[in-house]
Amino acid sequence: MEITMYHYLFVGLVLFLIGVLGSILAQNVIKVLIAIEIMLTGININFVTFGTYCGAESFDGYIIALFYTGIGAVELAIALYIFYLMFQKKKSENIERYREL
Amino acid sequence: MINNPVIFYISAALIIFFALFSVFSKKIINSLLWSVLVFFTAAVIFYVLGSEYNAIIQAAIYGIAVPVLLGISIMFSAGKDDSGKGFAINFFAIIFAVVFTLFFIDAVVISLMKQPESFILQELPKVNFYDVISSFVKGLFINYVWAFELMGLLLTVTIAGIAVFKRKGA
Repeated sequence: MEITMYHYLFVGLVLFLIGVLGSILAQNVIKVLIAIEIMLTGININFVTFGTYCGAESFDGYIIALFYTGIGAVELAIALYIFYLMFQKKKSENIERYREL
Repeated sequence: MINNPVIFYISAALIIFFALFSVFSKKIINSLLWSVLVFFTAAVIFYVLGSEYNAIIQAAIYGIAVPVLLGISIMFSAGKDDSGKGFAINFFAIIFAVVFTLFFIDAVVISLMKQPESFILQELPKVNFYDVISSFVKGLFINYVWAFELMGLLLTVTIAGIAVFKRKGA
């Protein structure tokens, strides 16, 4: 059975869905952030797959995946800083207590 | 690109398992450790797909830098986790894990039956460094130069913003 583009896309989709499930179900703020990072990893796998199978010369998918990695790291840093500021008030990691966000 | 079904199915099964464990772990530190494995396995998948640069950056940023940030956050909030919910290994979880594992073993066995030579790594990664580097440079500095500049601006604003907030907080 030859491995095609759709196999990799399926893995990316499953990772994305696991991330969505985790971000919906998790009660802990840091767990929500981890689930979001898993979603981003699934999206990156899709980009790199398209870069490999559809852009043989230009590597567009690879470059977009690079940007996405950078933006993901920035987003995490900002989210953690907001969490740090909120945590000093709330003294809790439970997402139910962060409704005012 | 390494077009080998065995490597693909094993890495795909591992990344899905690790992601499930990461999402459904009860302790937050376990969740973080499983997520590190997810990020490193994603780097392996990038390497298998033929993108060495993305693999290295994935391993460096998501495998090392992001877990350090998350680990520090867990450290300063240690003991305050009152979420109370998590993953408990029950009958359905075991059934799901067994079915999932059997599915992937079945996929590997079918691949080996149809393509017996795939067990031996025959296709070594072939990298034409000149082409890859020139394509990356062309992409970053010509085709997507605005996105590249915007990305740099975003990082600068982030660092400056954190410094300003820190000074205000102090």
